[in-house]
Formats: sequence, C-alpha cells, structure tokens
Amino acid sequence: MILPLVFVGGASFTLLTQKEPWPVPDKYNKMTNPVKGDAEALATGKEVWTKHCQSCHGKAGKGDGSKAAQLKTLPDDLSKADVQKQPDGAFFYKTSEGRDDMPSFKKKIPDQEDIWAVVNYMRTFKK
Amino acid sequence: MFKRYWIGSVIRHPIINDLKTLKMKSINLIKGCLVRAAGLGLLLGLSISAGAQTTDSTVTEEAEQPAPIKKIKPAKNTFASIWIIDNQTVMVPNKKTFEMDIMHRFGTAGNGYKDFYGFFASSNIRLGFNYVPIENLLVGISLTKSFMTFEGFAKYALMKQTKGKYPVSISYYVDAAWDTRPGDNYVHNSDEWMYFHQVMIARKITEKLSVQVAPSLTHVNYVNGYFKPTTTPSGKDTNVVAGERKHEHFAIAFMGRYKITQGMSVIVNYDQPITKHASGNPKPNISLGLEVGTSAHAFQFFIGNYYHISPQRNNYYNQNNYKEGFPWQSGNQFLIGFNITRLWSY
Repeated sequence: MILPLVFVGGASFTLLTQKEPWPVPDKYNKMTNPVKGDAEALATGKEVWTKHCQSCHGKAGKGDGSKAAQLKTLPDDLSKADVQKQPDGAFFYKTSEGRDDMPSFKKKIPDQEDIWAVVNYMRTFKK
Repeated sequence: MFKRYWIGSVIRHPIINDLKTLKMKSINLIKGCLVRAAGLGLLLGLSISAGAQTTDSTVTEEAEQPAPIKKIKPAKNTFASIWIIDNQTVMVPNKKTFEMDIMHRFGTAGNGYKDFYGFFASSNIRLGFNYVPIENLLVGISLTKSFMTFEGFAKYALMKQTKGKYPVSISYYVDAAWDTRPGDNYVHNSDEWMYFHQVMIARKITEKLSVQVAPSLTHVNYVNGYFKPTTTPSGKDTNVVAGERKHEHFAIAFMGRYKITQGMSVIVNYDQPITKHASGNPKPNISLGLEVGTSAHAFQFFIGNYYHISPQRNNYYNQNNYKEGFPWQSGNQFLIGFNITRLWSY
C-alpha cells in the first residue's frame, strides 16, 4: 500500500521539477552577435545584468539570486558547459522572448544591442 | 516520421547551407541507414534520438560573421529614475511604460525621541501615475496629502547626450497644481492654482557620476497682501495693498548621482531660491540619500528639508531651514523621506 504511494509521490516530484526543453527557432540559432565583446560592451552587459537579471540568476549566473527560491522553475546554472554551448542567438532569443517564470525583456530592454551586450556578459560566467 | 526527423536534424547542421545538397545528402544517408539497420528497434531509436535534436538549441559552429556594429547612441541611464529626491531628472522612461510613484516625507527630526525623529509626526504622502504614450514624452497625474494637491504634469526629452553630437541631455518639465481642499479657502477658483516650469540639463560624466542643473520658474495665482505705507503724489501718507510675495519665483536646483555599486548610488540635491520677496522668502533645501535601482523599481531613502513634495509648493513655501542644525541635533529641520517607483512595460 505504502510502496505505490511512494512511487506515485516520487513520480509527481519528478514531473514538477523536470524542465521542458526550450526550442529556439533556427533564425535565432544562426544569428551572430553583432556587438563585439569588448570592455565597453561588457560594462553595458554587466549593468543590464545587475539591473534586470541578477535578482533571479545570481551575481555569477549560478541561478542563486535572491528571488530564485520563489520561482516555479529554478534558473539554470549559466556557468555550466551544456548551457554555454548554446549559440549567442539562443541566449538572445530566450532573453528577448522569455517563458513561464522568465519574463520577456524585449520591452524592458528596447535596444537590441543591450541584449546582445548582456549575452556577451553571460559568456564571462563560463567555467 | 523517420525521414522527417532525419532531414529536420540535418537541416540544422550549420556547415551545410545549400538546401538541395542537404536533401540529397539526407536521402543518401537514409538509404544507407536502411541498408545497415538491423531492425525496427534501431530505427525507432534513431527517430527518438533525432527527435530530441529538434528541441536542442545547440549549434556549435556559426554562420558567416558580419562585421561588429558600433553605432554612437545617446548615453543610457544618466539617472536610475525620473526622480532625484524632490526634483525631476532628465530621464523619460521607454515608450509605453506606465509608472506608479509612492513618495513619503516624515515630520522634521528636530523633536528627537519625542516623535521618534519625525517618524511619528505628521507626514506627507504623494501618489503619482505616469505614462509614456510617445517616445520622449511623459504625462502624469498625482495627488499629494499636503493641501490635497492634485497635479497634472508633462515632461519632454528635448536632447539626449550623444558622444560627438550633444554634450548634455535636456528635458523640459511643466506642472499644474490645484489645491483641492474642501472649504472656502480662496475667493476665486483660480486662486487655487500654482504652476511650475523647469528645464533640466544633465550630463553623464562617467559611468558612475551624473550631474544635473535645473533652473525653474514657479507661478502662484494667489499671494497674501498687506498694507504698505506710501505717500501719494500730493504728499499725503496712506496705505496701499501690496503682495507679500511676487507671483513669480525663480530657483535653481543642482543634483548628482554617484554609483557606489552597480545597483546602489549616493544621491545629492540642493535647491537655491533666487527671487527675493518682501517677506516669507523660501529657504534653500539640502538633501542626501541612497538609491537602489532594480529592473522595475527604484527606491530612494534620504534626508532633506523639503516637505511638500509638489515642486511649486516646495520652491515657493519651504520654511525648513538647514541652518537650524545638523540632522542629529535638537531643533534641526531635516526630515526623512523615501520614494518608490514601479514600472510596467506595455
């Protein structure tokens, strides 16, 4: 009697925490970052990151921001290789469009170059 | 299903750009696979594997790299908010941004523990709502507890600091304030109105330091009168009714922001009255505080002399004098206040 309950409970937990794949349209996957990752762009990226991203994703992109615990889906650790292997365009798409807990930033950050700059800054998290 | 997934997955390979070549290679690949496949299980396995790839956003090799662009754009984030304590900044939020402001001023701190440094004294509160309907134009309304002041205001960004083009940003702010207290406080309805015009000139000097200077003109419809002794041309001494103050009042504000971290700044502000009146000259204002900016909020926590929040009333009527003592001294006329702004993008 107890064993099936444990099994069902475990399965539910797995379903709740499992992340859905986040497909990125080809158009974005093939995009190249038009903003050169120089010191100026990284400074802009850091400013945008601190203002808009850090509260959930954490200072170093590890998904440990002060608001992260309130989210239904924990943010990925952006320093990991399997996240960093995504192309710049995928980062751009996900930041612009958002999904579920992750808000869309295309209105809050209307200048696309600022989003590209924060993509450059996200690359600095790579281990 | 097998063919579709395979073709789909190969199409995503960035090295192969030509669609026809891609299809041919895919078909050849499928044929080869069919010959070599040991059974349906293997085919199914391949299908699942390929299907998984359709949701994978990983592309390790990139298409042709265009030359990086480097356009010269206006300076961003000269200030973190439309406010620095009691004054507007040059900033106008992005188009279609709605903003709600909550501004609070406690009583003066001079009574010390008696009213807990003004926290338990009579306070002033302002609720404001702003919207940016078109690029560079902010319009809004507000209601302030002091004199139940209802305001309608607008701000337009005339010029934005751009490297090699404009050395400063300039915005113009206009505000009409209406004393909506119930009762017969004035003879004419028009006496309830005050107006405020301000030109803000700001420069982001470095990434950390921004400064602004803002001359202003306040117009007051109603001023108190008094009997002024005078001598008529015929040599007779008499009294005539004169205004205690002028209807127009000029002032100038200086303010600055220095970022001590990416999200936190020190903010300072000084307001100097210019026009001299017959009596009741307003006192200057010094304020100092901390600002924390986030994605949708700005929080400002400060001490200063201004209480009324409404800019025309502050500039025209402020009687809190910073010379009465430092904020920690008995009898001082500094007060504690905070501003909270919340932005929504539509």
